Amino acid sequence: MQQHTTVIDKAAMALSGGLMLLGVVVLGIVEILAGKPYGAAPLTNDAGEIIATPMVDPTLRTGLVLAGLLVLALYGVYRLVAPMKGETAAAQQEITAD
Amino acid sequence: MSYQAANPLADEFEFELGGAWTAYWLAFLRVVTGWWFFHAGVTKLIEDGLAYTYGPTYLKQMTGTALGPIPVLMGEHLGWLIQAMVPLGETLIGLGLMVGALVRLASVFGVFFMALFWIGNAGFGHGLVNSDFMGLLLFMTMIVLGTGRYYGLDAIIEKTKLVKRHPKLRYLLG
Repeated sequence: MQQHTTVIDKAAMALSGGLMLLGVVVLGIVEILAGKPYGAAPLTNDAGEIIATPMVDPTLRTGLVLAGLLVLALYGVYRLVAPMKGETAAAQQEITAD
Repeated sequence: MSYQAANPLADEFEFELGGAWTAYWLAFLRVVTGWWFFHAGVTKLIEDGLAYTYGPTYLKQMTGTALGPIPVLMGEHLGWLIQAMVPLGETLIGLGLMVGALVRLASVFGVFFMALFWIGNAGFGHGLVNSDFMGLLLFMTMIVLGTGRYYGLDAIIEKTKLVKRHPKLRYLLG
């Protein structure tokens, strides 16, 4: 079955996917290349002292992912509010049937 | 080897959205995800009833996160609501997923919960992708694939006259 996507569908997919992949994967690669810590939390020694901090602030990275989720949430609201394809077709039929 | 770009598994291992294996696996995944939340919620209800005091405390310590002051403000001003809604919400989300009713709506709240847990727990020692984030993605998968239609009550509810009259309800069901 072929599904038709509109510009808004494509924009929502590209923007949300782009933001989430930037936060998780792209900046994850940057973090690895920058050296320890490879994760997104500070590195501590046995005494609990911080010996290395992430190059990219995890707040920025998680913020990018949350922004992606927000785009998807807004898209969901748009789909709830906007008329459905069937609805517009039915409305047009009513006009032309007169 | 399959030459169908839309369904690369078409030849060796049929995995169409209407296929038996898809139905089996998505229903299984939905019930297990639902049980995960139902267990978390119902045990809180048994232990603390609708007064889960750790909820607001947890939110108040979420300072300096990507969510800004939102969790702290929620913890400070909506404490009474959080105390009741954490156990009740988790239980209802889990129940909805297990029986497959209002799965998309329940999963939206599941994503909301998991986003707070992901940011709040901040278990990022091995990177951003941790079990909290995978839980969040599970709920997103429920929404995208409408898993309530696979051996779930949403499959029956969506055939009712009410839903046929108001097809947008399928955005909350499914």
